[in-house]
Amino acid sequence: MKKVLLMASLAILPVNSLLAANYTIDPGHTYASFAINHLGFSTMRGKFNKQSGSLSYDPAGKKASVTIEIDAASIDTGHEKRDQHLSSPDFLNAVEHPTITFKSTKVGWSGDKLSTVTGNLTILGVSKAVTLTVSSINCGEHPFNKKQVCGFDASGSIKRSDFGVNYGLPAIGEVLDLQIELEAVKD
Amino acid sequence: MAQILDRPEFQSAVIPFIVAMLVYVGLKKFTAGAWIWALFAAFLISSSLINGATLSPLTGTRKIILLVLGSLILAGLVPYLIRQLKLQRAVAPGLTILALLWVFGTVVARMDLIGIALFLAGGVGLVLWLAWTFDRIANDDSRLHGAGFTLMLGTGLSATAAASALLGQLALSLAAASGGMLLAWVLQGKAVGSGRVSGSISTLPYVLSAALIGLAAIIFARLPWYALIPLAAIPLATSLVPVKPDARFLSALVNSLPGLIIALAVSYWVWQAGSSNSSGY
Repeated sequence: MKKVLLMASLAILPVNSLLAANYTIDPGHTYASFAINHLGFSTMRGKFNKQSGSLSYDPAGKKASVTIEIDAASIDTGHEKRDQHLSSPDFLNAVEHPTITFKSTKVGWSGDKLSTVTGNLTILGVSKAVTLTVSSINCGEHPFNKKQVCGFDASGSIKRSDFGVNYGLPAIGEVLDLQIELEAVKD
Repeated sequence: MAQILDRPEFQSAVIPFIVAMLVYVGLKKFTAGAWIWALFAAFLISSSLINGATLSPLTGTRKIILLVLGSLILAGLVPYLIRQLKLQRAVAPGLTILALLWVFGTVVARMDLIGIALFLAGGVGLVLWLAWTFDRIANDDSRLHGAGFTLMLGTGLSATAAASALLGQLALSLAAASGGMLLAWVLQGKAVGSGRVSGSISTLPYVLSAALIGLAAIIFARLPWYALIPLAAIPLATSLVPVKPDARFLSALVNSLPGLIIALAVSYWVWQAGSSNSSGY
């Protein structure tokens, strides 16, 4: 009986392995953006224009991981002088710490859909656990280039002082709302 | 009260000015190094308000804060520990060059060979120049602090205009502290030339602060490198003031004037260059 179970397990394993896939982030369809309170008046929004990374997704095995690397100097709020200031030592210190990274450590599922991604977000060299809520995730064949593509939308929030980004507190908001829209192409 | 302490003009101007003045007046009778402790107290409070009382993560800017405070402690202690003036004279440039490597080492390590060579030549050259020109005025309180006040003012305003308010505020807090201390010195109203010798180690805080904050504004922010050339000329310009008025008020005025003109001109130029495509934000 044990041998039968073992054989059955070995037979199933390759099928699950086939469902698991590794993807490379498509920078042209990936947006890491943020919103922060500006002096109590309004919400200021910005995004990063350069990012890279990878995604591993296995809904059958309930396994997934994501790694995103963001070029801190590519911050874009639609105002060149402000972007220079945000890249300076006052905020992201992009020369000393050129990369912002997110590496997942744990994922949550709702049925067969990815629902949360918890990982270490590293800003200014400081890593803190952050949980992103995944509002949608879809995988399938790209209608034009016929490649397998996965995409998801996720959001979360952080306190910037947790990462040592203290300048302008409390006038400039403490809580940063993060939004990541990501597409990745199967390797 | 908390709202007042959050305001940049209080953090980097009003508070260091008042603190330095009070500490200088309070300690003047007890120690010739009163001005050093006046700057130390003012910068300790200001930097805590500007940066928050934290050193984590230990960024280049936070290393600068630590080093400026350390340089002030050394400037207060070294004259008692090292008696030989020649050795004292080597301390300011030697320690500042080591400080440069600590603050900028990780960034410079990512540069190509030309970048590294330019950094070493420019950084070490700036330090040696500042050490030499400050050394010429080390024993003249009025010239030393006139040059220190205006150099830090120019560095602070330029750094702020070059998109790093944090670096700018740190330099401006030192300028305000020097200004407050200089005013207290003026208000005492005694004649210059009491015979007290400051010693060249007293230049360490000014040499180190100006070099580190100036270079940080270039490397970490967007201060044009050539803006440091006229700023670095301030101590030399101060040393060349031909008159030596007896009255402290006049002495402080004439010895601060050349540096003030240079500092304001450079700051205005950097601000104009940086704001050409900006409508403010």
